[in-house]
Amino acid sequence: MAEVAKKEGSTSRDTKTVTLTIDGRSVTVPKGTTVLEAALSVGVQIPTFCWHPKLKSIGACRMCYVEIEKMPKLQVSCATEAADGMIVHTDSDLVKRGRRAVLEFILLNHPLDCPTCDKGGDCDLQNLTFAHGYDDSRFDFQKRRFIEDGVESTFDDLRIGPEIILNRNRCIHCYKCVRANKEAFGEYDLGAFERGNVTEINAAPGQQVDNPFSGNLVEICPVGALTNTDWRYKIRVWLTQTVASVCPYTSSGSNILFFKEKHQNRVYRVTGRRNDDIDDGWLPDITRYGYQIIHSEDRLRTPLIKKEGNQETATWDEALAVIEKRLGEIKDKKGCVCIGGLIDPSLDNATLHSFSKLIRRTLGSNNVDFRIDYRMLPKTSSDNYSILTSRPFRIADIDNSDVIITFGSDLLKEHPNEYLRIRKACNFHDSRVFSLNPYAVKSADVAELELVYGIGADEAIIAALCLAGVEEKLVSIPNPDQLKEATGFALMTEAAAVCGVEPDQIKIVARALAKARKVTLIAGELVTRSRDRENIASALCNLNRVFGIEEKGQIAVLSRYANSMGARKLGVLPDPPAVVKSELTKLWGGWPDTEPRNTDSMLVNMKKEEINGLIVMGADPIMLYPDREFACEGLEKLDFLIVCDLFESETTALADVVLPICSWAEYPGEYVNLEGRVQQANQAIKPLYESRPGYEIVELIADRLGQKLFESDEVRRIEIEKLLEVDNGLSWPDSFVNTGWTNEEHDDEFTVPLAVGDDPHHCGHRTEKASSLVNFCGEAYIEISPGLAANYQIEEGDSVRVESPVGKIIVPVRISDFLDNDVVFIPRNFSSTPVTSLLMRKCRVDRVKISKVVS
Amino acid sequence: MGTEKSTGTKVFSLSGHIKRPGNYEVELGFNLKKLIYDPEYGGGILNDKKLKGVIPGGASTPLLTEDMIDVGLDYEALVDAGSMLGSGAVIVFHEETCIVWVMLKLIHFFRHESCGKCTPCRQGTAWLEQLIHRIEQGNGKPGDIEKIDDICGNILGRTICPLGDAAVMPIQSAIKLYRDEWDYHIVHKKCLVKSDFAF
Amino acid sequence: MKDLLRALTNVFWRMPPAFWVTMKHMFKKPVTLDYPRKKAAMAPRYRGRHYLERYDDGTERCVCCGLCAAACPADAIYMEPEENEKGERQARVYEINLLRCIFCGFCEEACPEEAIFLGREYEFSDNNRNSFIYSKEQMLVPHPRKPNPFKRIIRRVRRTYGVPEQNS
Repeated sequence: MAEVAKKEGSTSRDTKTVTLTIDGRSVTVPKGTTVLEAALSVGVQIPTFCWHPKLKSIGACRMCYVEIEKMPKLQVSCATEAADGMIVHTDSDLVKRGRRAVLEFILLNHPLDCPTCDKGGDCDLQNLTFAHGYDDSRFDFQKRRFIEDGVESTFDDLRIGPEIILNRNRCIHCYKCVRANKEAFGEYDLGAFERGNVTEINAAPGQQVDNPFSGNLVEICPVGALTNTDWRYKIRVWLTQTVASVCPYTSSGSNILFFKEKHQNRVYRVTGRRNDDIDDGWLPDITRYGYQIIHSEDRLRTPLIKKEGNQETATWDEALAVIEKRLGEIKDKKGCVCIGGLIDPSLDNATLHSFSKLIRRTLGSNNVDFRIDYRMLPKTSSDNYSILTSRPFRIADIDNSDVIITFGSDLLKEHPNEYLRIRKACNFHDSRVFSLNPYAVKSADVAELELVYGIGADEAIIAALCLAGVEEKLVSIPNPDQLKEATGFALMTEAAAVCGVEPDQIKIVARALAKARKVTLIAGELVTRSRDRENIASALCNLNRVFGIEEKGQIAVLSRYANSMGARKLGVLPDPPAVVKSELTKLWGGWPDTEPRNTDSMLVNMKKEEINGLIVMGADPIMLYPDREFACEGLEKLDFLIVCDLFESETTALADVVLPICSWAEYPGEYVNLEGRVQQANQAIKPLYESRPGYEIVELIADRLGQKLFESDEVRRIEIEKLLEVDNGLSWPDSFVNTGWTNEEHDDEFTVPLAVGDDPHHCGHRTEKASSLVNFCGEAYIEISPGLAANYQIEEGDSVRVESPVGKIIVPVRISDFLDNDVVFIPRNFSSTPVTSLLMRKCRVDRVKISKVVS
Repeated sequence: MGTEKSTGTKVFSLSGHIKRPGNYEVELGFNLKKLIYDPEYGGGILNDKKLKGVIPGGASTPLLTEDMIDVGLDYEALVDAGSMLGSGAVIVFHEETCIVWVMLKLIHFFRHESCGKCTPCRQGTAWLEQLIHRIEQGNGKPGDIEKIDDICGNILGRTICPLGDAAVMPIQSAIKLYRDEWDYHIVHKKCLVKSDFAF
Repeated sequence: MKDLLRALTNVFWRMPPAFWVTMKHMFKKPVTLDYPRKKAAMAPRYRGRHYLERYDDGTERCVCCGLCAAACPADAIYMEPEENEKGERQARVYEINLLRCIFCGFCEEACPEEAIFLGREYEFSDNNRNSFIYSKEQMLVPHPRKPNPFKRIIRRVRRTYGVPEQNS
């Protein structure tokens, strides 16, 4: 029986296959597969230490020996390419002897730490020694010990990073950690020093291992040499059970496993669950340590009701009674159009759908939105921006793209899984990467060319690319004049001058884009967060039209939160696309005919006191909305505010009723990732304290307001299924779209452009409660380029006052390794220094003034 | 010049207990015994002692005893004799050399040079050094020699690069050809020969 | 008269041999121990109540590895590890439920640190279930063991002359 195995990264061009015999079974694999991969594809287990499916094989451990007929010695199957007619024996006597010998060699200097080692029970060395090794040791010398501070000790737990503990004595030198760090993550903070028997894996001198993927190094280590502080001495792994789930922080939906103990309602740790289509087994640290918020001491335990200015604990009945009374009052006196709803896009499908129905059917208005941290939102959802957010996109297709372009995206902070995927494409497929950003970013270290254009000139650089394609005759379009009119530039050099980029570099990118067989173009948060996102999206539509990107690849603006795609598909928007609207009308039997109001207009109306009641589910608008003053003004004027959240926040402090909601581990939910793939997150633990799942809270409120939202859970499930199948009917525009470009004037006092985003170790507004993530980065900072720091005579660690026309904060300085122009970066998750107080929602480019604080 | 299969000349570095050490460029196929004893070349053993053994091609080649040195120095003939041409560094030692001490020096070098990538060479050379050191110091235990032979068998041919093979081939040949010396070390806890050198 | 003779013969001539074995035992020393006033010594390998050993310098031997809990056929052991001041692994919570325990000694055999032993104490009745969950503090041997020199000599003398010891 011949089985065909798919090799990593192969395309349909690899039609050559080879057939070999493994343990008597005939296997057909594509040319280039190794014997080990061929064996694994048919279920033959060959033990390994240093092999990893996503790293290049080095053949260092010598554990994967097989005997191949007509080859004189034992061969390492991970490094031997399969050839036609090979006859492979994986379990002959010679192979068994070879494996025993290797295990004996490894155990020579391996300390007898199993009772105290965290890896016990989970350890490759333990398992393989049981299966293939000797039961006694012939070594009767003293084992090698590494010296620390002049003391030779078997107890060697060095803390080489905020979360990583290294025990050099236990290392078996498989080099998986340094290889993964270098190849897969592009970091050099862990290295191997010395040679021979005393090779020491350690942090690079003067550095800590604190890159945003450092947790994977612990998972990849086959023994207990690298361990997590988070898991240290917590529980033995054989006492735990696993529950499959999905990450709620990143939009790609990395697959994870929760570890919980059978009788306790507690999650002990999170590890990866390899999904080759999404995450390849690598988890960013946010995902790995973010579960700690579930068991934080600050979780809201009971509902709170505001009485005479103080928030007091109450029961659910009391809270719901207050909601019934007050919401009912507003509904009767002023009408449903005065009540709005805001929901966090990282909640699951059932909650999103129930919420949308609550606002639309029970309360009868179109005041619902999930886009809380974006400014100047459009009224409709059928614009060019929406087209770009709903393009088909497959993460796995990045692997074999010849050219990858990232536009306006700091990938490491926004889409870490996609960054790793692009690194893999460069390593295995030799892809060419081009990065276009208004400031230099770390994730461009794989890029062949990084084009840093002037901030605010986003449309201009896209226009320059389009015009370069036309001028260099790389593409042929029927009406180039229309393109010039649409972009507002006549020559490519004009556009290049506006953005401040060399025309030659633009030509290189354009040439690569035109000649590539398969292209991936990723546009990120810069587009989404911009005031002029529609313009930039139109420019991208023009680019697609010129180069035909979607025909030979994929182009999309990637959504940022765990379920933004789901929210879009379920129509949790003030004015969903027509097809979605008609489907919802059909399912619910009606549609409110009130004016659709998005987050911006809701806040405007709140300030005007035309919206008096607001339900906020799982979000913190004061922390996230890019104009803190504006958000506070609106929320403070409300008559009645209900907030459902995990933790107390500034928004809950203003609320009249606060309801505790469950985290994603406490109820089963479905999440739609940025590809449109629906993934199930299973329930790991029962709801803690008195919290309830989001959809249950919505249904309780609806009950009190007199309507039963769904006949049963099954009905809701079917409705969601139908909605997810709907294609929103948006397609590319028929001709070039006018974009033009704006050059915003800025006054002389506030000159320094400010970029706001997430720190690579944080996401959204909750990860401050995860103690491990706070260990990596505990407070806000400002990242400045060395040139700018020299101008202001600032050094690392100094405090600076950052001022804008609407606010000021004081933050410590970090001199960046990447930034090289005058753009500064401040992360936004920290409640003690909210950067949103500096932002103004009507600005295209936020500008601030920085001054050193002399203590 | 040279033989049919190994043509040309080679520079042989003659060293050890020899009267005229130095670099000699000779044809491939030149007789080893002549190279050592001929007054034009080696000139014979230092202090006219008896020859004990020769390393014909550098530290990684198996040894040749006195009755095996009547062989031409080329690639094929030495392989037939059980050794290799290697780098052409001919090291000669007389009867007052302790073979165990020689092996200790060699394994110490190889253990130090091992890069540490593959398991057998990295761990095996260190273990071999510890065992041979123990035997040389007089603390060897019965069964050590069989252990050394077994370890050498586990390293030979199982490594990424030939350094592992290079490290164990001289030891295996020493155990095969000079077994009585090793046994003497273990049983009597001292060198068989009176030696001026000490480790 | 004949009956009287028969009766007398029965009592004084036939009954004594029949009851001889029984009567013999009236004068033998009974095997019964006068418990609780007198207690028998248990064998040295008797499996009684558990105790946790220490090293000579006072450090607990138990590293909370979980092997005793895994070996226990009655699932009587529960533990939670933690890090002590020196950074080493130690038990924060270590509990044995003596009502579940079957005193098989598997935990003693499984322990890699020679930390847990089953001693010779068998007297621990109580009147509620909760007090049978012994914590680590209840099971640890005291440190320092009272270094009573006389006790040591007496113990050695006793051992030499084969007198059984009272408890662990």
